[in-house]
Amino acid sequence: MEGEKYQPSLIRMWRVWRTAKEMMNDRGYLVIEDDMTLSLEDFAQKYAREDGEPDRSRLNFSCQPSEEMLLKYTPAPTKKEPNPTPEIGTIWIEFNSDENVGLKQLRDYMGHLLNGSFYSGIMVTVKPMTGMAIRLLRGATGMSDGPKGGVEVFVEQDLLVNITKHELVPKHVLLSAEEKDQLLQRYRLKQTQLPRIQSTDPVAKYLGLRRGAVVKIIRKSETAGRYASYRWVI
Amino acid sequence: MPPKSILKKTTTVSTNAPGRTKPLNPRHLDVALHHANILEERKRVERQVLESIMTLMDFPASPNADAKRPTATDAHQFREAVVPFQPADYDALIEERNIANKCGYALCPRPKRKARSTARKQFVDTDHGVEIVDRKVLEVWCSDDCARRALYVKVQLSEEPAWSRQGGYGDTIELMVENADEHQKALPLRLKEGPTSSTNDDEDDLAAAWAAREDAMTDLAVERGEKPGQLSKANNDLVQDQITERFATNVPPQPPSLPSQSSEHTMAIEGHVPRSDRKDEEKDEDDDPQDWDKHLPG
Ligand SMILES: [Zn+2]
Repeated sequence: MEGEKYQPSLIRMWRVWRTAKEMMNDRGYLVIEDDMTLSLEDFAQKYAREDGEPDRSRLNFSCQPSEEMLLKYTPAPTKKEPNPTPEIGTIWIEFNSDENVGLKQLRDYMGHLLNGSFYSGIMVTVKPMTGMAIRLLRGATGMSDGPKGGVEVFVEQDLLVNITKHELVPKHVLLSAEEKDQLLQRYRLKQTQLPRIQSTDPVAKYLGLRRGAVVKIIRKSETAGRYASYRWVI
Repeated sequence: MPPKSILKKTTTVSTNAPGRTKPLNPRHLDVALHHANILEERKRVERQVLESIMTLMDFPASPNADAKRPTATDAHQFREAVVPFQPADYDALIEERNIANKCGYALCPRPKRKARSTARKQFVDTDHGVEIVDRKVLEVWCSDDCARRALYVKVQLSEEPAWSRQGGYGDTIELMVENADEHQKALPLRLKEGPTSSTNDDEDDLAAAWAAREDAMTDLAVERGEKPGQLSKANNDLVQDQITERFATNVPPQPPSLPSQSSEHTMAIEGHVPRSDRKDEEKDEDDDPQDWDKHLPG
């Protein structure tokens, strides 16, 4: 059995890392197919230390947005801004190995993102961060000392399984600015009239949905085949 | 109020009624405003506490600082910063310092103690013999002394969140230090000379009240961070007490506050100290032999 050859901590990390790759792919970043299907054996060969534990520092990676993603994240042109630039860019995913993560690590990480000119970042931690670090994170989006696109934090546990692969989780698709405008015009709605979804909702968090965005949720129904609903991210 | 319709109420289905046509109940508006203000204030305090923790995480600035004898600036900044803290915020500060491998006491530059092994339970030599302590507890401070000093601050913190404390939060936090004289806030000398020459008790009261008022004003000024030069009254005292380098005399420093003074301080009502609350009536007999005759009739 392949499971017995490897330490549980390594198998865990293999799952976490693969989910992280899938998550980036689902968001629209360019991810190599082989990474998402990397076998445990190959993973162990590449990322295990001599003692069999995963070497988290070697798991870090960055991703570039695809053309499609760039378009999706480009705001609608306005008179003031006839040629808007995409609100997305290179993302840096880091696997922190510290037992306790607090303000120190979060601030170091934010500094690293700025120095490396990353647009945004995801820190994956072994355990939940301290309350104060979470407080800093909540206020960090658009903060002067953080990266433009903000910082997200996941606990390894959150990525152990890919929640979007569960059959009961409907497909969530982010609308572009143009699609959002069309939707609101077609139904003569204001976005505030749409049903809402919290940005902290597990699927919203998985897709990195930002406040103000609209997401299309596609469900399968026995009677109607497929039907879509829309939610406004708050 | 518009005249009430006698017809059955029809609830308008249209949810996007243009503008607000319903008359607003001013009381509801007040309540909503009140809650919005509290929320705003809460956000402000939480941000302030976070920023203070980020500052105090890297405290003290000098690696040679001594937790027992902090500089006046460090002590002042620390005391000011923790005023809006709740005990849980203070614990958060300790937690963040520990993560950065620092002693939990913000005025200590040393690293936290390191357990001899990674075992969860540790044997520690104490005055009462060997004790078993949780490793996590052991690795919070650099020494028991710092633990004492840090907890001395914690017990003074208000459980009440700063955004709902009545009358703001002007409380002062005291520190356990060995160089209290260097931190002593400008306490103007009590106006003893005037009252002692007179036998008039009312005048005595008045002088004491003025002194108490001055204490309060000085505290307030220091709290506001005003420069000594901008103070009108207690100017001289402030300047003398804050320059610390001049302590070359053998005269033992005065304790930071006399009990009689502090009691007056708290009992004063708009500067006036009710006689029943003045503890120095009896005490002064021992303290100040010149005062003895004021109790005699005539
Ligand atoms: Zn210490």
